[in-house]
Amino acid sequence: MNTLRLYIKSIGMLLRSHLQYTSSFIMQTLAQLVMEGGEMMVVILIVDRFENLKGWSGGNLYFFFGMMSVSFYLTELFGRGITGDFPSMVRTGKLDTFLVRPRGVLTQVMCSGTDPRRITCIAVGIAALIMGSRLSGITWTLTKVFILIESIAMSCLLILGLFMIEAIFSIFSVKSVELVNAITYGGRSACQYPIDIYPAPMRALFTVIAPFALTLHVPVSWILDKPLYGWPMWTAFVTPLSGALIFVIMTILFHLAMRHYRSTGS
Amino acid sequence: MSYIEVNSLKKDFVVKKKREKGKLLREKETVNALKGVSFSVEKGELVGYIGPNGAGKSTTVKILSGILTPDGGEVKVGGIVPWKERKKHVKNIGVVFGQRSQLWWDVPIIDSYNLLKDIYRIPQKDYEERLKELTEALQLEPIMRTPLRLTSLGQRMRAELCGSLLHRPELLFLDEPTIGLDAVSKLSLREFLKWENREHGTTIMLTTHDMEDIEALCSRVMVLGHGKKLFDGKLSDLLERYDTVRNVHVKFSSEYPNLKLPEGVEWQKGEDGIVLSYKPSKLPTAKLLSILQDAGNISELMLQPENTDHMIAAMYKELDL
Repeated sequence: MNTLRLYIKSIGMLLRSHLQYTSSFIMQTLAQLVMEGGEMMVVILIVDRFENLKGWSGGNLYFFFGMMSVSFYLTELFGRGITGDFPSMVRTGKLDTFLVRPRGVLTQVMCSGTDPRRITCIAVGIAALIMGSRLSGITWTLTKVFILIESIAMSCLLILGLFMIEAIFSIFSVKSVELVNAITYGGRSACQYPIDIYPAPMRALFTVIAPFALTLHVPVSWILDKPLYGWPMWTAFVTPLSGALIFVIMTILFHLAMRHYRSTGS
Repeated sequence: MSYIEVNSLKKDFVVKKKREKGKLLREKETVNALKGVSFSVEKGELVGYIGPNGAGKSTTVKILSGILTPDGGEVKVGGIVPWKERKKHVKNIGVVFGQRSQLWWDVPIIDSYNLLKDIYRIPQKDYEERLKELTEALQLEPIMRTPLRLTSLGQRMRAELCGSLLHRPELLFLDEPTIGLDAVSKLSLREFLKWENREHGTTIMLTTHDMEDIEALCSRVMVLGHGKKLFDGKLSDLLERYDTVRNVHVKFSSEYPNLKLPEGVEWQKGEDGIVLSYKPSKLPTAKLLSILQDAGNISELMLQPENTDHMIAAMYKELDL
């Protein structure tokens, strides 16, 4: 519990330091709103043009989009240390200062980054979820709420895990992160639509390597009362756990990589 | 057994060279940052660690503080191998990096300390006591509520020191602590370090390029070069060995005379006049002066020993560093 308290306190402090630059903060938050609003517009235009996409109604599309937005930007909001700031922590030697403190490195990395500007993106996501839910006529039950939360939480862990690949690369001071971006940011853009609109290789990529299909699409299909790509109903509860699995694997690899950390000159 | 035991410590770095034209892969080169360094430090000692840039000073400190894993050799600090039991080890140490901050940039300094309290799990009462003591010793009271980014370099260094000592470490590493500080800040920082060492018996190891730091603080100095330990002992002993050259600044009132200098005297033109350097052991000072007097009308003459920096430079040169 002590660790959680430390995290909350650290994030609180970082929020206050973000707010030291009030006008810049407001401008950037609004810029985020425009950006994510634009993404949402694309979905609205698609729905306006096609009415349905491979059997998915407009409401369904909004719901998928909302799930991805909420998951991705929650991760960015609370895990900025991993999703954005880590390479610069290595470069500037901030990682050294973590290593001389009696706490886990990953804990301290998580404690040292937050991106509160993302709240507008999350707001857009929530709006999309509500719209999607209304238009798809979802009747909410306790089980559905549970699956919704599970899916979001597991997708967050998955996204963290994927960004940790980038972190591991930067421990070895490798700069080629574009490949990783293809499954993190690329994954976000691609998987905000139903997975079955894509050809087989893409589906395989997002089922096996970056399993958004498992953490997001399977449970969402279940919530929308759609068939689960031919899988039995109970899988909707189990497949999202793959997000946690990826996160655990990446955490282990991260710690192995830290043994080879070579610091920067001073 | 000593408090710090270091035995034939080795560390290599692989440096990737820039890719040459026509070659597919970049060549790699192994740099031996440390080639078997051994030393021991007793509890309560104040040790200076010097050497030219790239000698391996920071690497040693990073290994001793558990940041890096060495490629060979043994290290024990208070019976603990730093990189094997990192968390247990770092509870007992404090580290101040001269060029990177450990406190939070945009928040009042006191808030950073509060967070450090949680990170180190310092009991509230102990924390308050220690904070009060350090605030007084480091004169931090006026800047406690100022965000770190608004403080001067000297203030920031004092704040960093306080942050690294809140958990009462037994061992303090300082990596170039006085870099960029003005004279007053340097002096008060040194005073504080002496006080902390005396008052709490804190073992202090500092790397520096500032010889005055060493002169003022350290009873013992270690010289590192090319990844090897070259000297370990008293500063006075080190200086005696290299304190062999004197400088004479001469200004002639007349034209620059044609000097016939004996062998072993080097000269160069200064801003006004000339600077001669000679070894008193080879050429008695009186003899040199008489040569100068014969040569022309001297308007100004100044005789001085080389300063510590010059001596160290001469030493590095002699040792081919």
